Formats: sequence, structure tokens, C-alpha cells
Amino acid sequence: MTRPTLEEARARLRELGYLDAGVGRILFRPVFEGRGGEWLPAIGLGAVAAALGSVAAIEASEPGLASFAPAAVIFLHLFAANLLPASLLAALLSPLADRSRAPGAAATAAGLAAAAGVFALWILGTWSLEREVSMRALLWGIPLSAAALYLAAAVRLAFLARAFARSGALPGKAARRIFVAAAAAGVLVAAFLFLSRSEPQPVPAPQPSPRPTPILVLAIDGLDLDGPGRPPAVAELLAGGAAGWWPAPRSTPPELWTDLASGEPARRHGVRALTRVRAAGSPQSFRPPLGTSWYFRRLGPLLRLVTSAPVSGADRRRLDFWEVAASAGIPSLAVDWWASAPWPGATVVENRVVLSESKNGVDADRIATARFDAQSARAFGVSTLYLPGCDIERDDAVARQAAVAGVLRVLEAAVSRARRGEAALIVLAADSHPRTSSALARMIVFDGAPAARTVRIRAEDVAPSILARAGVPVAQDLPGRPAAGLFAPGTLESATVPTYGARIVPPGSSAPESDREYLEKLRSLGYLK
Amino acid sequence: MAVAVAVEYVHAASLVLDDLPSMDDAQRRRGRPALHRAHGVATAELAAVALLARAFEVLAGAGGFSAASRARVLGELAVAVGASGCCAGQAADLAAEPANVGLDDLEAIHAQKTGALFVAAVRGGALAGSAGERTLAGLTRYARNLGLAYQITDDLLDREGDAEAMGKDTQRDGHRANFATILGAESSHRLVHELLDAALQALPLPSRSGVLADLARVVRDRRS
Repeated sequence: MTRPTLEEARARLRELGYLDAGVGRILFRPVFEGRGGEWLPAIGLGAVAAALGSVAAIEASEPGLASFAPAAVIFLHLFAANLLPASLLAALLSPLADRSRAPGAAATAAGLAAAAGVFALWILGTWSLEREVSMRALLWGIPLSAAALYLAAAVRLAFLARAFARSGALPGKAARRIFVAAAAAGVLVAAFLFLSRSEPQPVPAPQPSPRPTPILVLAIDGLDLDGPGRPPAVAELLAGGAAGWWPAPRSTPPELWTDLASGEPARRHGVRALTRVRAAGSPQSFRPPLGTSWYFRRLGPLLRLVTSAPVSGADRRRLDFWEVAASAGIPSLAVDWWASAPWPGATVVENRVVLSESKNGVDADRIATARFDAQSARAFGVSTLYLPGCDIERDDAVARQAAVAGVLRVLEAAVSRARRGEAALIVLAADSHPRTSSALARMIVFDGAPAARTVRIRAEDVAPSILARAGVPVAQDLPGRPAAGLFAPGTLESATVPTYGARIVPPGSSAPESDREYLEKLRSLGYLK
Repeated sequence: MAVAVAVEYVHAASLVLDDLPSMDDAQRRRGRPALHRAHGVATAELAAVALLARAFEVLAGAGGFSAASRARVLGELAVAVGASGCCAGQAADLAAEPANVGLDDLEAIHAQKTGALFVAAVRGGALAGSAGERTLAGLTRYARNLGLAYQITDDLLDREGDAEAMGKDTQRDGHRANFATILGAESSHRLVHELLDAALQALPLPSRSGVLADLARVVRDRRS
């Protein structure tokens, strides 16, 4: 009788009903037959689990995502976005499996690492997007744990299948208990982290102490106050004002100026890039979660699956200083600030309105100033104007000169007002596009009386300083404190309140059509490439 | 527990019968003289019959599961022992001409002689636990693969194993056809791994880390 080969024996035994387990067919059989593909289930499950973690993170910070349809659409995009990272991880693990001398332990470790990555996406994503985490964020732990468990098992099996192809060694002791324990630990860690935070709650408005003189805050982007040709008023401002300085960080204009206006870092106020993304099929815009920028910022737009949406006031989770002042009952005016939005008690001219009408930087400053002046007949306790012209024209020497001249005229008028005692002037000078890493930003306080002091402060001290000078109690949970060294004794409010609370904005979204026009405008002004 | 005890009685009876001079004529079992060597052939035959009867007695009187399930377990165990199970497999094994035995014949012998009892043991436990048909199907695949892997391992150990460690005679099957002689040792070892892996993969998810998976690993690591 002829002796069958191993391959023939296998084939016959399969016909007789052996070697035919369901999952084994998917994972091990391709390896037996030298076809590969054993990582495909792990890659698919990895993309599903990562998408779940990312949707959970977005859901924690995006009020508009509460309904099922946009969440489902975004999930599909995130699944596609996570296929590449999952494939790359599989490509990294595959040679490790080929060389592993202890495939059982290594496969379990790989499965655990994959599950930990999914939990990290969820916890870090949620953590980085919002300080106050809704309790609902914790409920995502249920589907996430299930997905992480299956992912861990799939990664382990794929790893073992690769190792099996080389050595013929069977899987070591099954690690299901380890995976279940790891999933439970992940949920417990998340529960501990999330429960250590609080739900966003409305808080009582701070009670201000009235101040006799109003505050005028002039925010100038991209102007070097030390440059040549300073008019006398600017020289007077520099010589007689109290100046605080800090190293200017490299960031986007919305982030830089929202840092100053809110007194909070970007991870808390939420305003970072100039744009957010909007997945095709969903009206909701959002910030791409960790590890998905390659899809949402690069491939998706190329394939027309993703569009951009400009940053707006709806993205901001913390109150800017004029909003705090308005909530405290002080009439406030804010013109042309990034990520600004209507607020009760405040008159706000949004940056979007100003830039949409502007052809260039000079125009932007002119329109902003005109809008500001148009409101000045009314009595505001706090008024502020942001001038972006010098920054917009940073690459055009002639236009920049015109922009600088325009800003200096505004500055001169403001110094005159301060000198007359009509307002306490605070000038914020920073550069969104610093040319050197050693660039400084400044806050100059000109209260009418010469002070001539220069002190080091922090960016986060700016908003508390403005509010304290306006007579508003400063929130203790702000990272900064009023820069007492810049103000005359007795002019700063010494009372404090525990917090101003989060800026709770209702769900909503802008129209993609108008967003497109605004983005075009930002592009023509040089903000976007 | 009653199912496990009954299966063990049947297993013990099969070993006693298998060792008889008319069958394998083995001298030692579990490190001690085979039963017929210690107490004579007649006593051994009677003991085997008594063990079989005791198995069905235990099952018939077992509580904790429904009468319908009990009847099904009894039927399946009887089939595993009878004319299409262990008895048929042993008869075919004794009658086989080594030179003419092919893979299919060998599989049939093993499936009846060894696999049938593996299947009955696993399915019996599952039936006692009111398992559904889908679970039963997975467990049956597990038991068939495990049974064949066990028998091939047995053949390999007979060829390569240490009689002292195994507690029974070795190299007695060299004249008989088995997987080791048909496929060679290396291919047989590889086939054992693949069968055990298929057995593990056939287990329903909740059983992957339980005693059934451990049992597959015991077969994999078996040295005696």
C-alpha cells in the first residue's frame, strides 16, 4: 500500500471531518497552506476597537454627537482611519512572532498591549478633550471592553498562528482570564479617572466690585512694539506702562489668543487648530482623535470623504474674560477675537464676521476698528479689540507697513484715552507666527499714571489680571493669578470664587456652505495653506 | 459527575479487555501486572463486564439532569461501547492486515476504538449540563480531533516511549499498522499538533480556558 504524504493525510482527514474547526479555518488554515492572512481578523477588530475608543472620546467632548446617526457615520470613518495603524502594528508583530522563542507568553503580551492601546485611546482621548467628563463616557467601557477582549484574543491567535507556522508549537495556556482581568482593570482605571472629575454644572455668576474706570484691552497680533518709528504715544506707553512678559509659544492664532482670553491652556479650553474636520455624511465637526490625523487631515480630504470646518466659539469650553465679566453683570464688548461667539450680556462681533468682509490685513484691522468704534457710544465696563492685520501681512513688507501704521494709530488713540483717565488700557502684544524661538509676548498696563515696571509673568496670568482689574473675583481653579506687580495697589479685586464653571454650549453645527466660504477667506488671508 | 464516573468505568473495562491474551496480550498496565496476569483471564473478563454494568447503573441512577437527557446520555454511551463503537474498532483492529491498512481504515479503527468514547464523554457532560445543539456540535468536533490526536500520540509513544515511564509494554504495536508507520514519526507529530489545535479552536469560547482545553494540552505534553 502506498504511504500518503502529510499533505494528503491532512486533506483526507479534513474530508473525514477533522482539522476543521471554525475559527481555526480562519486563522490557522491559511498558515498551514502558506497563504498568510492570519492577521486580517486582528486588523479588522483593531480598527473596530480603536474606532469605538475614538468615538467615545469624541462623544465625551462634542455635545452634538449625542444622537446615533452622526456617531455611526463618524464610527465608519474612524474604522477606515484606524485600518492603517492596525495594519502597521500587525506588520510589526509578525516578524516578532516569527522569531519568538516563547510564543505563548509573547502572544499574550501582544494581545494585552493591543487591548491596552484601545483603552488608552479612550481614556487619553476623553481626558485630553475635556476636563469635566460626562458620566456617559463611562458607559462606553462596556462595548469597549468587549471589543478589547476580542481584539486581544485575535492578536494572540494571529501571533500564535505565525509562530505555529515556523515551529509547529501549539498555543500555550489560554489567556482568556488574563484578558478579562485586563479589560476589567481598564474599565476600573477609567472609572477612577472619570469619577475623579465632575459633570459640567452651571455655577453662580461672580459678584463684581464696581470700578470707576472701564477697561480697554487692545490685542495686537504680530507687531514688534520695540521696532523703529514708534509714535510718541507708543513710546509713552512703553516708558510709562507696567510691562509683563513671557516667552511666546509656537501655536496657532486661535489657540494662542484663546489661551490669553480664557486664562486656560488649550487642553482645557479646547481651541487648537484653525480648522476642525467634518466627515462626509455627518453635519458634526470635531477634532480628529489621536492617531487619525493622517486620514482626517490628509487622505480623507483627498478622497473627498472629509471636509474642513473652521474653528468657532462652539469649540471653546472655557469662558473668555469678556464673557466672565458679562456674566458678572459688567457690560462688555469684544470685537474680532478668535473662537468668539454671542454671549448673554456681551456685545460680540465675531472674528468670522470681520474676516469675511476683509480683503487683506489692513482691511481686517480697519473693519474691526470701525465695528469697535461704532459700539463705543455705549458704556462698557470691559471692551476689547483684536487686531490681526500685522500678522496677516507678515510676508508683504509694504502691506505690513500700512498695517503697522494703522495699528499704531489705534494704539495712539487708546493711550490718549487712558491718559485722560477715560479707561485703564491693557495692551496684549503677541505674535502668532514668531520668526524666532526666543520671541516674547507682552502685556502692558497703562493706567494713566506712569509705572515703568517690567516683570516676568505667565500667559495664564493675563485673563485673571484683566478680570481682577475689572473688579471681578478671580476663579481659584484658573491656573494663573493676577499679576499684582503690574497694577497700582488697591486696583485689583482681591476676592475669589471657586470656579467660573465650564462654558456649556448647546449642540449645533454651522452650514458647510458658509464654512467653505469662510475657509476660502482664511486661505486668501494666508492663515491656511 | 455521574457521567464522568460512568465513562471512567467504561474506559477501565476497555483497558481490561484490551490487555487480554486474545487481544493485545499486554503484561503490564499502569505500572502493575495487567489484571488477567494478576487474577486470571476469567476474573478479568468478569471484571470488565461488571465495570460496564456498573457504568450504566451509575448513569441510570444519576440525579441532577432531566430524564430525557439521561436517556440520551445512556444511549450515546451504549453506542460508543457497542457494535459501532469500541467493540467494532477493536474487532477491525484485530482483523486488520498491516500491509493492507490505509489511512481511511486506520481512521475508522481509531474513530471507533478511541474516538467514540472521547465523543461520548464530552457530549455526555455537555448533555448533562443542558448544552445546546451548537455547543454540542463544537464539542463533538473537539472530541473527534482530540481522540484521533490521542491515539496517534499513543502509537508514537508505543514506538518511542519508555516502558517504565509509561507503566505498560511498549513497541508491541510495531507489527500493526498505525499513523507512525504510515506517515512516519515526524509527520505524525505534526498531525497531532494540528489535530489538537483544531480541537482547541473547535471549543466554544467560554470553554477555551477550561478543563477541556487543559485536556488537549495534557495530550500534547503526554510522555507516558
